[in-house]
Amino acid sequence: MPSGPRLATRRSFLGGLAAALAAASLPRGARALGDASRLAVGHVQHGGNWNPRPSALRRLGWELTRRTSIETTNDAVPVRLDRAGLHRHPMLYLAGSGAMPPLSEPERAALRRHLQYGGFLLVDSADGSDGGGFDASVRRELAKVLPSAPLQPVPRDHVLHKSFYLLDRQGGRVLVKPWMEAQALDGRLAVVYSQNDLGGAWARTEIGDWEYPCTPGGEPQRETAIRIGVNLAMYALCTDYKDDAVHLPFIMRRRS
Amino acid sequence: MDGAAYNDWRLTVLTPLPAWALALLALAAVAAVVLAHRGLRGEQRRGRRAALLSLRAASAVLALFLLAEPAVELLQTARVRNRFAVLVDASRSMGFPVEPDGPSRSAAAGKLLSSARAALDRLADRADVEWWAFGSDVAPADPAEVTKGIPPRAGATDILGALKGVASGSGSTRRLAGALVISDGADNAALADGLGPEARAELRALGVPVNAVSVGRSAPKDLAIERVAVDDFAFVRNTVTVEATLRARGFADEEVRVVLRREGAVVASATVKLERGRDRYTVPLSFAPDQTGTFVFTVAAPVLPGEVVTENNSRSFVLRVIRDRVRVLLVAGRPSWDVRFLRGLLKQDPNVDLVSFFILRSNQDDPGPQHELSLIPFPVQEIFGEQLRTFDAVVFVNFAYAPYRGLEIERYLPNVRDYVRNGGALAMVGGEQSFGDGRYGETPLADVLPVSPIDGTSMSEVETRFRLTPEGKRHPVTSLVPGDGPNETAWSGLPPVSAVNLTRPLPPGTGSSVLLDVPGVQVGGAPAPLVAVREVGQGRTLAVTTDASWRWGFLAAEGGQGNRSYIRFWNSALRWLVRDPGLAPLQVEPDAPAVEPGAPVGIGISARGPDWGPAAGKRVSAELVAEDGRPVARGEAVADRDGMARLELVPPGPGAYKIVARGEGGGEPATGAVAVRGAGPEDADAAPRPELLSAIAEATGGRFSALPGGSLPELAMADPEVVEIGRRKAVPIWDRAWFLGALALTLAGEWVLRRRWGYW
Repeated sequence: MPSGPRLATRRSFLGGLAAALAAASLPRGARALGDASRLAVGHVQHGGNWNPRPSALRRLGWELTRRTSIETTNDAVPVRLDRAGLHRHPMLYLAGSGAMPPLSEPERAALRRHLQYGGFLLVDSADGSDGGGFDASVRRELAKVLPSAPLQPVPRDHVLHKSFYLLDRQGGRVLVKPWMEAQALDGRLAVVYSQNDLGGAWARTEIGDWEYPCTPGGEPQRETAIRIGVNLAMYALCTDYKDDAVHLPFIMRRRS
Repeated sequence: MDGAAYNDWRLTVLTPLPAWALALLALAAVAAVVLAHRGLRGEQRRGRRAALLSLRAASAVLALFLLAEPAVELLQTARVRNRFAVLVDASRSMGFPVEPDGPSRSAAAGKLLSSARAALDRLADRADVEWWAFGSDVAPADPAEVTKGIPPRAGATDILGALKGVASGSGSTRRLAGALVISDGADNAALADGLGPEARAELRALGVPVNAVSVGRSAPKDLAIERVAVDDFAFVRNTVTVEATLRARGFADEEVRVVLRREGAVVASATVKLERGRDRYTVPLSFAPDQTGTFVFTVAAPVLPGEVVTENNSRSFVLRVIRDRVRVLLVAGRPSWDVRFLRGLLKQDPNVDLVSFFILRSNQDDPGPQHELSLIPFPVQEIFGEQLRTFDAVVFVNFAYAPYRGLEIERYLPNVRDYVRNGGALAMVGGEQSFGDGRYGETPLADVLPVSPIDGTSMSEVETRFRLTPEGKRHPVTSLVPGDGPNETAWSGLPPVSAVNLTRPLPPGTGSSVLLDVPGVQVGGAPAPLVAVREVGQGRTLAVTTDASWRWGFLAAEGGQGNRSYIRFWNSALRWLVRDPGLAPLQVEPDAPAVEPGAPVGIGISARGPDWGPAAGKRVSAELVAEDGRPVARGEAVADRDGMARLELVPPGPGAYKIVARGEGGGEPATGAVAVRGAGPEDADAAPRPELLSAIAEATGGRFSALPGGSLPELAMADPEVVEIGRRKAVPIWDRAWFLGALALTLAGEWVLRRRWGYW
């Protein structure tokens, strides 16, 4: 499909949005959007330190609401893999610091079914480990959950890196790996694993201070981590939408 | 002896000795002569040597003669009386004039035969003359009728087939000695492309001379659509090219407009400039069919003054227009699980060509510099303007038109409404920006939606169950599994929805049906609709007043039910929206897409009941509708236990007919199409081909002449076969006494001379 007409430029788009604001026809929040219709990330509880960055998901939700049209619930919802209701949350977040006890077989089966029917799991290693600690535990579990889909680095040109922001670097509290890894099912990333403590970069206190410094890149690295979080949520909700042919000319122009 | 009974003779031998014994005796005779010759080598007197050798040779010959017992065999023989076939062309092309303003070819042939009747009768001395009329097959004819001119009725001309039929069959054991073919040579069977090597060999294999008289001098003035080349099916909205072959004889320097009509409406045309000396033109006619179905198309050329045949100026064909893929436009007001799973389902369907747009930003967001985003402008003008009609279905998922004032989406809503009325499909899926929450009740889309949005209300945000309505129990969209009971069970087993937009059902008579409603959410004292459908204008709409249909798949999968119900629901909804022919309760199909003139059209009708099972015993009717919309034939039948009904209708004549089938009790009629061939091969090409007949005569050793102007040629005919028909008698010629006496004399003579000349 050819590109849009003149009126569909950024200026006119924002102008239109401004006009919409002025008209106050549908100001944000005026519509009652129930929690059932909002994005509520399921925060997986496991036997280890499952919530090393308690404020991280709340902050990611806040950033999503501020930056995109995604509406989120105030907080993530703690879920247990072996309890009913797991499928109410197609997007799951599994974080940890230090070794994680093995998941039970019913937990693995439930997670496998969740992912096979279209669910999405973001795994975030908070301890900066590589080959030990949480990293070793989670690699062991992921290999058992989806044995036919080994973890592979996400290519730089994958749609995950352009689902909202155009990204060409990694972010997080630390930079253990300059890439994320993923397990794919039916051509879709079902599990994305970051060793860079994304949650640590997102975490913010109630009074507005970032909880952890980002090293070695500082605040730009934090901003990248937030953008990765936005892209991950967008990918969970839109999958490969940005790979549609209609987007390519625009994206190519901005990348060049 | 009755010598008159025998009319032939031959020499034979009567000896009982076997052939090898005779051969040995012959060798012995030769040896006797050779020995005599060797014994006389010393004889100086040649006279003596010659005399003795002569006597020895004469003895040997006489001895052999007596041993072989030669005889004259008298025979009684007769000549077989063979057949001579006169084959007269009775095909329709013989009805054309023999020359401009002349009598018909058939009449000219009759006149020739009438005047040549005496000559043909004289053949009776040598052969039985048989009279045949041929077209696509061959049949005996009455000579009296033939000489008056056979009515030219046959739909094809097969000269080789007629000759082979007459030569091999006809119930006679007698051989064919020759044939006379009187025809215009306009063969449209094996010799349509001339006398090839194979046909030539077949003719020669007949072993008889074929004499030929060609009738007709010049091709009449005629414009014909000789051939139409097109595939059996085409893809909707894809350009299809129909290649018509226009044949024009006797015209020059005229412009001819060739048109392609679909059931009366011109869809393409082309102008051909006729040139002198050229009689065939290839005319490409391109068009893009805009709707699916089976249609009759007609390629037609105008009837020009002076044309002999007008039936061949048009040619009809049936074209099935199908979708290549269902083209769906999905527009989502914000990313959500509802649109995520729906898009995933559509994207995975190989039959769906999906174009999707998600609004990824709100009117208050602050994502940072635009160049760091992958976002694109929303091409409103394109997708809701010029491109809209290229989509089979448009799906709004929680999409609001209002917040983007700069884009003025509301300006395009009348377009969307008209797109639906003109045959498009629209599905509106719920959410906090949809239906009344998005204030669609005051837009032109309210004219086509299957429910009435209540503007200014907010979604009911309670987890609530839903139920099938009576209409929903019968409708294909809400048929998850076959059978009423299992289907209700399947629906009741699905997870509840978590939010419902508040809408009202439309009043009766609006073409809408609520298929699922929510008893737990009351609007004006009645359950709120959850799934509703509507037939509006030529289009269809669907309303799903929740943003939680994804739960029927993903959430149901947690309970071990899998996501089949979700997939089935949306697949059925899409198929119903785009009028997938397989979802229509009534189907009609002719046995063949085209039939010959006069032949009945066999029609099969499949009827399904409201429960989607075979409608056994249902009365169905079918009618043929002419291009001008006039019904021309009608019939009724009753569906058997498989829901199948068959009937035959006879079209009044050549042309294109729409088949419209209806079931008792109303409902949407099913349509098909059939073409009755207008111009058979005889009408398609009326040109005489004397060169073909001349070639046949030449290949078989026959004679040829041409009418008008010519006369019956001297007819070539094979010699009759001679056969022995009965008695024979052997008259010995060896048992004469003087043969024995002569042998005795030669032996005695040699003995005497040898004694005298001192050899013994």
